[in-house]
Amino acid sequence: MGSAFDTFRKLGPAAFVLRAIIFVIAADVLLLAFILLRRTYRKWYFANRDARMLAIRQQWDALISGTIPYAAWRTKTSERELIETMVLDAYEVANLEESARLLKFMRTSGLVEKRILEARHHKGWRRHKALVALARTRAPEGIRALAEGLRDRDPQTRLAALRGLGRMACPEAAKEILNWVDDAGLLVPALPLQSALIQTCAECPQVLLPHLHHANTTVREVLGRVLGEVATPSLGTELLRFADDDLPELRAAAARGLSYLKPGAAVTVLSELAKDTVWFVRLRAIVSLGELCHRTALPFLLRGLTDSNRLVRLRSAEGLVDFKNELLPIFEKVVALQDQYGLHAFLAALENAGLQASLVAEIKGTPGSSQTHETLLQVLETGRLSSEPSSPQESVLAKAAAQS
Amino acid sequence: MIHFLDWANHTLFYYYLASNFAYLTMLIIALRTSAGHLRRLESVRFDWIKESPMVPPVTLLVPAHNEEQFICTAVRNLLDLDYPDLEVIVINDGSTDKTLQIMQKEFSLRLVRAVYVPQVSSAPIRGLYRSDTNDRLLVVDKEPAGSKADAINAGLNAATSPYACVVDADSVLERDAILRIMVPILADPDRVVAAGGIIRVLNGSEIEGGRIRRVRLARKSIEVIQVVEYLRAFLIGRESWARGNMLMIVSGAFGMFRTDLVRAVGGFRASAIGEDFDLVARLHRNLLEKGADYRIEFVPDPVCWTEVPSDLRSLGRQRARWHKGLLDVLWSNRDMLFRPRYGRIGSIALPYLWLFELLAPVIEITGFATVLLAVAFGALSWTFFLQFVLFGYGFATVISIGSVLQEELTYKRYNDWQDVARLVSYCFLEHFPYRQMHMIWRLQGLWQYLRGDMAWRPMKRLAQPSVDPDKTDSSPVPAS
Repeated sequence: MGSAFDTFRKLGPAAFVLRAIIFVIAADVLLLAFILLRRTYRKWYFANRDARMLAIRQQWDALISGTIPYAAWRTKTSERELIETMVLDAYEVANLEESARLLKFMRTSGLVEKRILEARHHKGWRRHKALVALARTRAPEGIRALAEGLRDRDPQTRLAALRGLGRMACPEAAKEILNWVDDAGLLVPALPLQSALIQTCAECPQVLLPHLHHANTTVREVLGRVLGEVATPSLGTELLRFADDDLPELRAAAARGLSYLKPGAAVTVLSELAKDTVWFVRLRAIVSLGELCHRTALPFLLRGLTDSNRLVRLRSAEGLVDFKNELLPIFEKVVALQDQYGLHAFLAALENAGLQASLVAEIKGTPGSSQTHETLLQVLETGRLSSEPSSPQESVLAKAAAQS
Repeated sequence: MIHFLDWANHTLFYYYLASNFAYLTMLIIALRTSAGHLRRLESVRFDWIKESPMVPPVTLLVPAHNEEQFICTAVRNLLDLDYPDLEVIVINDGSTDKTLQIMQKEFSLRLVRAVYVPQVSSAPIRGLYRSDTNDRLLVVDKEPAGSKADAINAGLNAATSPYACVVDADSVLERDAILRIMVPILADPDRVVAAGGIIRVLNGSEIEGGRIRRVRLARKSIEVIQVVEYLRAFLIGRESWARGNMLMIVSGAFGMFRTDLVRAVGGFRASAIGEDFDLVARLHRNLLEKGADYRIEFVPDPVCWTEVPSDLRSLGRQRARWHKGLLDVLWSNRDMLFRPRYGRIGSIALPYLWLFELLAPVIEITGFATVLLAVAFGALSWTFFLQFVLFGYGFATVISIGSVLQEELTYKRYNDWQDVARLVSYCFLEHFPYRQMHMIWRLQGLWQYLRGDMAWRPMKRLAQPSVDPDKTDSSPVPAS
């Protein structure tokens, strides 16, 4: 058999072009005909669909209550899909009472069963569709089928199943996800996994704990981040255990979760974590100290202002600015630190919170040495600790201070 | 001589055949990719993404130079986009009109000491302003530097989000555009480092309060031809290149990037003519040199509407500039060609751009010359020549109609029968004399670059939110 090149050589360019012309004319005609036919079909399809939707809407209550026998529409694919779409759309915006009624309808009419069956037996995009529809019902009996979707070979199907389980927002769904992660490892990107786990573990963060103890490092990092998001006071002692974990992610999670505890115990641990060697652990600790908004946290927040990491300095400043009633003494301490970066972070946070004017008023209204007041006001105005000549960037800051 | 002409004409024939085969392959890949994308979208519920607790923050970078007429509407619309964690940074690039003052009044801006770390180079900053009415809005007022890239760099320095999206102040984003462009990033944040959306032609559509009220096809022939070109470039070209992870352009008018990576490569190059193309090329280079496993995606459903030139003079300038930009980037990355460490970029994407985009006008004009010489020497087979022209014409219409079909099958923005009929008719009409004019503009661009003429030639602006050709999507690299 001759190669394609041989055939092409035998044809010669002229003969080839002639055939190619016929081909392109045929292609043009076919493409145009396809566009025309498709447009016509779609016009008919949507007109028909619109009419059917109106008819269904007019019999809505009879349909949902089951007065219209399910058998009248269940076997007609297009009719069933239309009703399912309408019910799911209504379900997503319904109040509690209406949701219960619609879920009962989906169960008794077999729509949920149908989707479970499809999610289990179909492949590819049909399985996708079934998983999404099943998740939209939020029916707990769909959790198993969604969990099976996690074990699909197609990454998109796994993602659809994961998002669906997240949508369920219940510990049962969390357990399925966690068991799967234990078995298979990280087969999906971390971000959607975290999202799904945060949604499902919010109610009962304890489900994470056994998995945190024996999972591998990569999974522990992800679970640690989730723990940090969903931690509640009920996890108190467990969080303290993670504060000296080897994995910085878990220390950061503990730091984050500790903001939910009572200040007494939390500040001590957080002050240690605020000295961690890993910047994001320090950052989490400082944010939590700020959230606690307790006087005992002040020295650690002030120390955070001199941190080598810019984000830590900024968050420390934001935390300090939250002590609105003690702004003047805090500002005096900030100036006493003699740290230009820390001062800038504090002034930025002060301006962002719109508190500069009240601090100025407080300085002016407080009895004491006028020289100290002058110095503080000057620092506040110029943003500089010393009397060195100002750089262009600093003159911008000074202008900002003057204007505000 | 006759032997040479015969050889030259044969070479031209095979070049044209190869080019058409490439377009046909891209059309088939694009149709398949779009079908897959649409099916994937069925499993993506945008309300789920919006409610997700882990959606990463996004900073919109909006360079603005003398935009007093539209800036407030544009900023309001951007602040109103459907995304849970959005920061808008407007960079006032030394406007000589009242752009800054109007924004100050409208959004109650006040000068602040926000953190500004000049990680990438840009002209000096005059001040940073935060809005009292919407704390998600930050305005960076900077000295003019005469380039959009410099303005974006200033915005990048002020950005606090892990993702930054560059948007033109005079473009119109659809409300869910950011959510949609983030879909591939959210699905695989470790690998997807950038994503580009589709740019569509605004001319002719009805706009109300800075939003599209009704999509209509443009009125002027020159605008409709550009609609066909944009459909071809985005729905066929970018869709198929992205499929093979060889996308070389993420539009400057609407593109999402990982902030840390853009900073790591030094931000946008202020001296680049096509700064978006240049940035993507440098991202590829940087990541490939590190051996990173990454993707740069094209997402065809988040739409950014932008106005295109409506007169030949402006269009000619735009296309000449695009071609200059193409040469600029290809020349500065010539060392990537055929080097194994640069993978498909070095062995497929860049050679393709050199051969079928950059050199296309040169080869076309050479073709015209050899055909004329063949006529003069009586060496031309008229039958073959006519057949060849007819084939070329027919094939080009197949590709153009293919892009309209792709639009019909997938995103279907033009719903009016009349619009579709006009769109299809221009698939047949664009080849004479527009294509030849396009060739001349591109040759002009090459000539200007070789002479070192990098002058900025603004286009005629219209009454509605309009576009400077040099500020919009710098180089869509048409698919045919």
